[in-house]
Amino acid sequence: MVQSDLDRQIEQLRRCEIITENEVKELCNKAREIFIEESNVQRVDAPVTICGDIHGQFYDLQELFKVGGECPDTNYLFMGDFVDRGFYSVETFLLLLALKVRYPDRISLLRGNHESRQITQVYGFYDECMRKYGSANVWRNCCEVFDYMSLVAIIDDRVLCVHGGLSPVINTVDQIRTIDRKQEVPHEGAMCDLLWSDPEDISGWGLSPRGAGYLFGGDVVRSFLHTNHLSMIARAHQLVMEGYKKMFDETCVTVWSAPNYCYRCGNVAAILEFDENLKQDYKIFDAAPQEARGIPAKKPAPDYFL
Amino acid sequence: MASGQPAYDFQDAQSGDLGALAAIADAMKSDSLTDRLESLKRLNVLALAMGEERTREELVPFLDESIDDEDELLLSLAEVLGNFVQYVGGPKYAYVLLRPLENLAAAEETVVREKAVESINKLIEAMDQPQVEEYVIPCIARLSTGEWFTSRSSAAGLYAAAYGKVTDAIQAQLRGGYEALCKDETPMIRRAAASNLVGLVTRVEKSHVVSFAIPNFRRLAEDDQDSVRLLAVEPLVAIGERLTTEECRQSLTDSVQKLCSDKSWRVRYMVADHFVAIAKSIKDKEIQEELVNVAVSLMHDNEAEVRSAICTQLDGLADLANSENVAARFLPPLQELVEDQSQHVRATLAKHIGTLCRVFGKQGTIEHLLPLFLRLLKDSFPDVRLNVISKLDVVDSVVGIDSLSQSLLPAIVELAEDKQWRVRLAIIEYVPLISSQLGVQFFDEQLSNLCMSWLGDPVYSIREAATVNLKKLTEVFGVAWARTTIIPKILAMASHPNYLYRMTTIFAITAIAPSVTPEIVRDLILPALESLVTDPIPNIRFNVAKSMEPLASVLRSSPETAPLEQTTIRTVLAKLEEDPDPDVRFYAHKALESISNSA
Repeated sequence: MVQSDLDRQIEQLRRCEIITENEVKELCNKAREIFIEESNVQRVDAPVTICGDIHGQFYDLQELFKVGGECPDTNYLFMGDFVDRGFYSVETFLLLLALKVRYPDRISLLRGNHESRQITQVYGFYDECMRKYGSANVWRNCCEVFDYMSLVAIIDDRVLCVHGGLSPVINTVDQIRTIDRKQEVPHEGAMCDLLWSDPEDISGWGLSPRGAGYLFGGDVVRSFLHTNHLSMIARAHQLVMEGYKKMFDETCVTVWSAPNYCYRCGNVAAILEFDENLKQDYKIFDAAPQEARGIPAKKPAPDYFL
Repeated sequence: MASGQPAYDFQDAQSGDLGALAAIADAMKSDSLTDRLESLKRLNVLALAMGEERTREELVPFLDESIDDEDELLLSLAEVLGNFVQYVGGPKYAYVLLRPLENLAAAEETVVREKAVESINKLIEAMDQPQVEEYVIPCIARLSTGEWFTSRSSAAGLYAAAYGKVTDAIQAQLRGGYEALCKDETPMIRRAAASNLVGLVTRVEKSHVVSFAIPNFRRLAEDDQDSVRLLAVEPLVAIGERLTTEECRQSLTDSVQKLCSDKSWRVRYMVADHFVAIAKSIKDKEIQEELVNVAVSLMHDNEAEVRSAICTQLDGLADLANSENVAARFLPPLQELVEDQSQHVRATLAKHIGTLCRVFGKQGTIEHLLPLFLRLLKDSFPDVRLNVISKLDVVDSVVGIDSLSQSLLPAIVELAEDKQWRVRLAIIEYVPLISSQLGVQFFDEQLSNLCMSWLGDPVYSIREAATVNLKKLTEVFGVAWARTTIIPKILAMASHPNYLYRMTTIFAITAIAPSVTPEIVRDLILPALESLVTDPIPNIRFNVAKSMEPLASVLRSSPETAPLEQTTIRTVLAKLEEDPDPDVRFYAHKALESISNSA
């Protein structure tokens, strides 16, 4: 793909305009080539700004960049759940993907539990692709990309970033490296747990009310960090009204980056900046104001869409 | 093509390819809603291929018979048929489209009916008088007497367009038919009649305004349903515009007063929202004076929506009131509104109160309005603060920046540190204007530190705006000032431990470079950037590379500094072109290329 084409596509997507089906196909192929080279455990250097769930809230992603800085000037790590629920999953995911292809060293994308064929057919991404492109090809191309995305990232050998959390069958980071990740998110097992688990104030492991993954307590986090010489876990996956939430003596933090989630939850969003000395700084932001959202779609979205 | 590929390949249909036409026909019967929708969009292709006659005799009847039950499709069909005149053989055959549209106008879903009415009105536009009389009038009559409310409600939307296209006798019939709709026992129909009355008011002859429009307007304005009464407000304005001052006084005063004091807040809201338009259409000075009192009472209304709506009318209201006592009449309610318990009312007020300066005059504004602005600037709701700030330039133009800054400056300084970054942004954008008026000494004492602190703001957009602000200030206060005051402070940030703030240094000095002399670029800016070439963070290094090109064009402007482009700048870029990071190499290479091109 010619660089100027890619730059033009990024500009277009930044205006929340979709690119053509053929361009999507090419972009996805290119992205897959990049992701395939990345390990299950992606190495990331500080400084980097980490972000949680976006869920197709395109204009709030723009707000995130306004607060955190534009890519590539600021380095970013997104911890999954780019699609579903919001109105602009297509534009959101394709913009992030285009940035990844254009600046592979400046932005990292991890897989979330919504980056899956099954989940996207229920929560809106599939329908949105059908509505915006008239066929399932774009959805299919994106799903193939999902299969190649990294599962976790480690910043400067100190901070483990993952969408969901830990797994009872994983004690060391090396065990994560042995997973064959290039597949649909399974219903159980290590890969599933990484994308589905939640921290909870319990000791040891508990059953997750989500029906996938587990609940893990502070002692589990402590021993995992100790074994692997890490200092903290950063994850997303759970709505936090204040944008971020520290648990277990700050050894586990949840970062949530979709303000006013589903356009109705009333929460603020956060991003977490690690500077080059791993100094942490949380930035809180609100949903984009109405006038920053462009002209609303003429036809109201059908009820099933949200 | 933005919409991508549909499952059926319609592309070839343009050429009349039979297979493609069959595909459209197939798609129309497909199980998939998307395919059926897509086939409707290509209906014109099919019609072109079939020719005008077969379109009239086969396609249109087929569409009419096979009317779908999916609202989305019906909506699309209603739209397509409105643009189909050219495919059935032009205006003289437009009537064949009436039949399916008449059915759609009776559909259950409101948006479908509205679209069908819109399309029928397009057909009426295209038809001539005999055709309208022969085909449209019976259609309107059928719809108007339909048993189910849907068709009667659609009928109301057709009268105005047809009215101008028929003879006097039929016009009389139409007025009779419309009056029946105004009296319909279903409120929904009376609502439709009320909202379409404006179209008729503007089309009937003056004598019928009196004999037909006014009685029906009165009937609707006194309806027992508030949802009908509120729709009488727009016809009221339209009727007023067609009457003389004297006639207004006689026929409308009553109704205006009743609507203004309606017991339903929704009606009062509509009145408040259209207040200036109503007052202007009435024309009579005496009544307008009274209306100002009504407006004041609406500012005290129990409902926040009503108070909000009347605030949007402040500009026009000020013109209506006698300017001598405008302060006396408006100040008491305004003083209450700035303390209003609803934040939305206060936000609306903040947006519109500035327009009053014009009528209050300089002295009046300083005396009476500035205290109110001050109160709003300190409001706890960010939108209120934002709205006042964004309208401050209107205030400037009346009272002069001097008095404004002196009274508002403390509040502005406070807002410069507002928790909401959009409020801070609004303040920053306002700073160059204040500064240019207040002069350099005042700026250095009061605002300088503030402007520098924005460079270190946690929000990226604020830091970015801060750099633009410094550029503008340099243009206002001159190069010498920039050299001693702001440039040293900017350069000090180049050693910030966080890369995002070091990056701001690069942005800031690159931004002001075109506004300073080439010597300053050579002596201060270039050395600072050179020191960042070895920064450990690649993002800093590639921004150094990006900054070289704008700097080079400044250096080029003086013969003394021009050689640096080929020496220092080239050296910097050559070094960056060997960088281990691909992005740094990319931007260094790009800059080198463009420098070579301009050499």
